[in-house]
Amino acid sequence: MITRKVTIQNEAGLHARPSSELVKTATMFESDFFIEMYGYRVNGKSILGIMTLAAEKGAEMELIVDGPDEEDAMEAISKLFNESFGNE
Amino acid sequence: MSDKTDLTHEKSKIVNGMPASPGIGAGKPWIFPRKGASVQPEKISDNQTESEITHFNQAVEKIENQFRQMADEADDTEIKKIIESQLLVLHDPELHKSVIRKIKKEHFTAVFSIFDALNEYITMLESADAVWARERTIDIVSIRDQLVMAVQQKEQEEFQLDGSVVFAAELSPTEMISLSRSKISGIVLHKGGLTSHAVILAQSLGIPCVVGVNWSKLNPNQHEHVILDGDQGEVVFSPDSAMQKKIDERGIRQEKVRKEALKWAGLPSETKCGHKFTIRANVEFENELPRIKTHGADGVGLLRTETLLLRAKDFDVKEQIAFYKKVLASADNKPVIIRLFDAGGDKLLDNYETEANPFLGWRGVRMLLDEQKLLEQQVEAIVRVSADYKGEVKIMVPMISTLTEVDRMKDVVESVKEKLIKDGVITDVHIPFGIMVEVPAVAMMANEFAKKVDFFSIGTNDLTQYTLAVDRGNEKISKLFRPSHPAIWRMIKLIKEGADSASIPVSVCGEMASVSEYAACFIGMGINELSMTTNQIPMVKMALRKSELKNLEKLAEDVCSSGSVKETEEIFSNWKKQRV
Repeated sequence: MITRKVTIQNEAGLHARPSSELVKTATMFESDFFIEMYGYRVNGKSILGIMTLAAEKGAEMELIVDGPDEEDAMEAISKLFNESFGNE
Repeated sequence: MSDKTDLTHEKSKIVNGMPASPGIGAGKPWIFPRKGASVQPEKISDNQTESEITHFNQAVEKIENQFRQMADEADDTEIKKIIESQLLVLHDPELHKSVIRKIKKEHFTAVFSIFDALNEYITMLESADAVWARERTIDIVSIRDQLVMAVQQKEQEEFQLDGSVVFAAELSPTEMISLSRSKISGIVLHKGGLTSHAVILAQSLGIPCVVGVNWSKLNPNQHEHVILDGDQGEVVFSPDSAMQKKIDERGIRQEKVRKEALKWAGLPSETKCGHKFTIRANVEFENELPRIKTHGADGVGLLRTETLLLRAKDFDVKEQIAFYKKVLASADNKPVIIRLFDAGGDKLLDNYETEANPFLGWRGVRMLLDEQKLLEQQVEAIVRVSADYKGEVKIMVPMISTLTEVDRMKDVVESVKEKLIKDGVITDVHIPFGIMVEVPAVAMMANEFAKKVDFFSIGTNDLTQYTLAVDRGNEKISKLFRPSHPAIWRMIKLIKEGADSASIPVSVCGEMASVSEYAACFIGMGINELSMTTNQIPMVKMALRKSELKNLEKLAEDVCSSGSVKETEEIFSNWKKQRV
């Protein structure tokens, strides 16, 4: 299991489109993926779960990836956050 | 208005809403079913759980097939994206776990389990702080209802829908797409603004639509026949023969004029006597772009950016650049005037405090100057695009009321530009800087403002509202909203004289420009640039091409010296009669 802390950099937060991107990327990997925010944990492969976080810009969250391809998965997922979901 | 001549037992009734998608539609009313309230928590026995789970899985598969078919048929990338995100919801692993748990552990029927599981998410989203999350609720509601109906083996009665007028509180994009596969005649919505997904799709699918009609108390089902006019925003229940005739004639006339006028679209913009003028397009949505060419616009006179920015919710530079470039490519080397974000704080901030007088409040340039980051990002996107399309991009600032605002905005544009040049992103480029003239204070001092800017564009809707002190959204006084009021024309004359004193061009980009007799008067006043919604361009062009400049000048002279609304209206109606 690996974990990493990230901060939402998108101006509008983790809204509909970035949530979709996140789920699509996470689903490509076998490993489980969870997001923990302010003590609340959701399945990172669940679009509904991510939407209910309604994470705004500046929100800090912990990414938790666990499984056989966890390193590749973490790499791909963190990249989305670092690049503000392809918006820069 | 008598119900004696009517075959139905309900009286004729006319209700007004907001015109959202043009055209006239008529047919039997059909109320869009929202299953929500009717699902009861029914229990099942142990040996039924497996078959209920199978029902659920089959329903998911069925809806998925419907979505995939819709995506295949759609040629619009926007529609494909919408469906893609609906598919992610349909296959959400947590949703599936929750439904199966409710069936297995709590012994609820598949129908109730689906209903209950999705309602948990719907409740959370409805109470979210973020506007985008609340707006997604309708999408989840629609998936819930589709799944419920699929398990209940109820087909959406598509085959019976042909020719009917659909009444709904609001519609999700996929509901809209699936409705459009039946030949429905029109849509009447209670909620949903002019920029909602449903309305945008109605426009691009060519379905007449009226929004803002609270129809639930009107019992549409009690009526045999309904007509809606998407140009006027009118919904008529059980029209009597006179109403029917009137609307039929209006429909035929509108359609005939539209067809006839389209033939004029490609012709040069000049009067019968050879006086040249310019007609540009007002553009807000991407799907309007092809019409710049087909409807004969000389570029874009007003690019509204608020919808783009609000829908994206990230005001990121890259996305804006992509949009502006698409517009410029469609404009075919002709000018594109980009109006900076023009909205009140209510559109931008989730924690916005309601203002007592929003139209006299924090909007347009007033808000932009307080929201530096938003402003700088937008200006950066525009400057970067204009480096690629040299001489074609102009910046226009809304809601200017003081000279200081002009100075401050020019400073922002300059400093953004200098930074980009310093960073080596662009080489120097001149971007014409203009302002909207919509506040009477600017009209009164037009000569002072003209010294500081490259062009004026008159926003007639707001200018009329501010000059006459009439909120046209207020039904009680909407009759007072009269663009024919001589005060408006004198105000416009002042603006034109102010512009002339500094030799800068003036254009009109408000709704008035799209009314042929007003357009004629503007040309007569020497205002040679008009910008309007693309659909109106051919008609205005046709009217102007049939006119002689000297007659237009006479019209303008009469209007500007008119002493009353009555007199002005007579002048305009006489002018129209002579033309026909």
